[in-house]
Amino acid sequence: MAHVEHHHHGHHITPISVLIRTFIILVGLMVLTIVAAKAPYWFASLEPYRGLWVVTNAIALGIATIKAVFVVSEFMGVKYATNLIKVYAIGGFVWFFLLFIMFVDYASRPWEPVKGWENVPSSAFPRNKDNDAGTPFPQYPGEAKHGKDGH
Amino acid sequence: MAAHATTHPTNPDESEVYFQYEDIDQQQETYIVGMWTFIVQEIMFFGPLFLIYTLFRWKFQGGFYTYSQKLDYVLGGVNTMVLLFSSFTMALAVHYAQKKQTKEQLRCLGITLACGFGFLIIKAFEYADKFTHSLFPNNSFIWPPHGYEYLGGNPEHARLFFSLYFATTGLHGLHVVVGMICIASLMILTVRKAPTITDYVPTEIVGLYWHFVDLVWIFLYPLYYLIPK
Repeated sequence: MAHVEHHHHGHHITPISVLIRTFIILVGLMVLTIVAAKAPYWFASLEPYRGLWVVTNAIALGIATIKAVFVVSEFMGVKYATNLIKVYAIGGFVWFFLLFIMFVDYASRPWEPVKGWENVPSSAFPRNKDNDAGTPFPQYPGEAKHGKDGH
Repeated sequence: MAAHATTHPTNPDESEVYFQYEDIDQQQETYIVGMWTFIVQEIMFFGPLFLIYTLFRWKFQGGFYTYSQKLDYVLGGVNTMVLLFSSFTMALAVHYAQKKQTKEQLRCLGITLACGFGFLIIKAFEYADKFTHSLFPNNSFIWPPHGYEYLGGNPEHARLFFSLYFATTGLHGLHVVVGMICIASLMILTVRKAPTITDYVPTEIVGLYWHFVDLVWIFLYPLYYLIPK
C-alpha cells in the first residue's frame, strides 16, 4: 500500500502513507498550537511570556495557516490537481484577504476627523437607550481601554 | 481522441464521457472546478464573520480574552481532533473509491459520519453549559446578561463575544449537519449502486465539502478558544 500508485494519464490516487503522514502532521500542529497558547499559563517559569498577545496570535494563526495548507494540498488534492483547479482554490483565499481592506477605513478615520462623527446619538443603538454616555461602546469601571478608537 | 473516448486509456473508470467533453479528464476536472466554485462562495459566506470577529477583537481584546476563558479549550481541542480524524477517513474514502474498493470506502464514510455525530454531541455539551449561564443571545440575553456576575468585565463585550461565538460556530455546525446528510446520501446511493454513482467523483466532491468544514474549524478553534491575554 505504501508505494506511490499513479496512472500515467488520468487522476492521481494519493497513497495511504501520504494521508497518514498528513494526519500525523495535522495532529502534531494542533497539539503545538494548544501548547504555544497555554504553556505560559501552565508553568510559573514561563510567566514573562504571558500577555504577548501579538506574538501568540501570530503563532496561532501561523500554525492554523500551515494546517490549512496541508488540508487543501493533500486531503483536498489541490497539490495534484490541474492548474485550473489551483486557480480556483487560490482565488477563494485571495478573496478572503481582500475583505480586510475594510480596515483601511477604520484605521484612517482618525486621520481626517469629520466633526461630530464619533458622537453617534445613543438612540441609534436600540439596546443602548438607557445609556447617556453617548458612545456605542461606553467604558465601564475597571475595564482597560483597548484599541485606537476614541482618540 | 473523442471518437473512441469510452475505450481511451485515460478513462480507467470507464465512465461515460458526455458529448461536450474532450475526454474523461476534462469532464472530471469540470466537476471538481464546479465544487471549488461552491467552496469559494462558502469562503465568502464565512469571510464576513471572520472580518467582524477581527474588528471587535481589535477593539475589545481584553473583553474577548476574559470571555474566551469561559470556553472549554480541552473540549474544543477534542473536537478539533475529531474533525481532523474525520477528514483523514474522508480522504481514505476517496482513495478507496478511486481504487473501486467499495467495502472499505463505505467503512471510511461510516467512520466519517460517526465523527460528525461525535463533533455535534461534544458541541451540544458546550452549548448546554452556555445556555445554563444565560450566555445564549435569546430573550434572556438582556442588559445586563444574567451571566454577568459569572463573567465579570463589560457585559456589552460579553454580548458581542457570545453572539459572534454562536453565530460562527452555529453556522459551522449547520455545515457539519449538511456534510453528514451528504455523506449519508452518498453511502445509501453507493450501497444501492445508483446510476448516478459511476466513478469516484461524487465521493471526491462530498470529500471536498467535508474538508472545507474541517478547514473552517481549524481557524475557529484558535480564534475563539485560545485567545491570549
